[in-house]
Amino acid sequence: MQRAAQCALRLDISRAFCPSSARNCRAVNRVNGSVSSRRYSVLPPPRDEEEKAMLDSMLRVDHAGEYGANRIYAGQMAVLGRTQTGPLIQHMWDQEKMHLERFNEILGEHRVRPTLLLPLWNIAGFALGACTALLGKEGAMACTVAVEESISEHYNSQIRTLMEADPERYTELLQLIKEFRDDEIEHHDTGLEHDAESVPGYFLLKTAIQAGCKAAIYISQRI
Amino acid sequence: LCCGYWDMAALIRGLRAGRVLRGLGSVAVQGTLSPQGSNVRRAFHRTILLQLVNDSKSDTSVPPPSYHEVHTAGESSSSSAHGESSEDAQPNTSFQDQSGEHGEDYETEEQLQARILTTALEFVPQHGWTVEAIAAGAETLGLSSASTGMFNNGAGDLVLHFVTQCNAQLAETLAEQNNKVQLGQAESKKTAEFLRDAVETRLRMLIPYIDTWPQAMSILLLPHSIPDSLKHLSTMVDDIWYYAGDRSTDVNWYTRRAALTGIYNTTELVMVQDSSPDFEETWAFLDNRIKDVVNMANTAKEVQATGESMVQGLMGAAITLKNITGMNQRR
Repeated sequence: MQRAAQCALRLDISRAFCPSSARNCRAVNRVNGSVSSRRYSVLPPPRDEEEKAMLDSMLRVDHAGEYGANRIYAGQMAVLGRTQTGPLIQHMWDQEKMHLERFNEILGEHRVRPTLLLPLWNIAGFALGACTALLGKEGAMACTVAVEESISEHYNSQIRTLMEADPERYTELLQLIKEFRDDEIEHHDTGLEHDAESVPGYFLLKTAIQAGCKAAIYISQRI
Repeated sequence: LCCGYWDMAALIRGLRAGRVLRGLGSVAVQGTLSPQGSNVRRAFHRTILLQLVNDSKSDTSVPPPSYHEVHTAGESSSSSAHGESSEDAQPNTSFQDQSGEHGEDYETEEQLQARILTTALEFVPQHGWTVEAIAAGAETLGLSSASTGMFNNGAGDLVLHFVTQCNAQLAETLAEQNNKVQLGQAESKKTAEFLRDAVETRLRMLIPYIDTWPQAMSILLLPHSIPDSLKHLSTMVDDIWYYAGDRSTDVNWYTRRAALTGIYNTTELVMVQDSSPDFEETWAFLDNRIKDVVNMANTAKEVQATGESMVQGLMGAAITLKNITGMNQRR
């Protein structure tokens, strides 16, 4: 009963303060109508189409990133799962699984479209993880270092964008991204600790992987 | 500035053609300051519309676009232009109280357009999806038929407005149903049934205009309408799946929406040439298409399960091989 009243109230309020463009009204109403029944959510209700598009693309690329990271660790585990580094990689993989689950929730709740290239990142991630793991434990760690560095750089730039836009409005989202970025930096440091730099061709490998990550981020934001 | 207004008034009374209006409006306001330019231009639009209405001696109630203009338009038409220029102190002619909010009668141009198009829908059975229908709608509201100049795409705007309206109605209905289910007042439907009901609800909104709908469909397929019509179609399909409970974040997101788009479009085509009572054949067609999709989904699931068991079998064989060759030891 109360929830229905809240829903109705939210819809009325959003209509009353709707910006003059009818299209903006509809975008806001669509998400407000579906989000209003949950009291706590990470994103603020979008105030216009532009903001919704920006948040959508940010969440889409983050989701794609976590999905890719998941598959990379899966590939590494497939090769090195039974060795001494198995438990370490498994631990990092579990943290990535948590991140992915969180993003899945957010995407479903806020009706964000996932990237069309997920099957591609599935295969590419697994292949990358497996191939670098075949170079041995150092190779796997080097891959981890490269990927985690890219991801934390990406999260940092997102944090900067949100802070420049309106830190108070995006408090929960900023908190979430900061938390995930800290986890990724931890993985990066773990990789360095475990002799990532001693793989032959470390610099080349790292540069190549980071270039691939940058391309993936660029594409996933749009498609 | 004053000279511009005087010229405007003289020109308007001389030329009553609607098409010249827009050109005049843009010529006259070239001298105005740019920040107030758009406001003044809109004020011109409405003043012009009001003047033409007054000139044609229509007594139907005119919607007051702004407090200021109601004042000036209430006087005789010949002095309204003078009134406009003498009360020229504030270029922003809409009445705003101290809080900066507009008076209750203030209406944005988009709201006015929406009202005209909604009224124009009544004339669609008669005139088809054309500019004539919009003109008839405008005249019913007491505005001049020249106000069709406001619509860049003419009939396209009318069709898109109708589609937007229908989609909004559908979204509202689905949200209401969803609320009822969440409050426990109604049973949640199975996905197939939900999709069927949602598509039927949406297609039934076309029934009053079904005779002219082929024309509307062709208008939606014109190159400059395609981006908008695709966007409306995709948001509608997204709405339906969201309320059907889809929260997928993988390729299923795309396959489901593609399937539903296909179902919707084909059913719409069937409906347009259906002559059975209450479109029974259309709903039967819809049922069959949804059954097809459900079957395909089930088959896909089965194939996936088979594939997974096959992979497990292969992994088992690989592990056995590794054990035999001694590669499976902890290093």
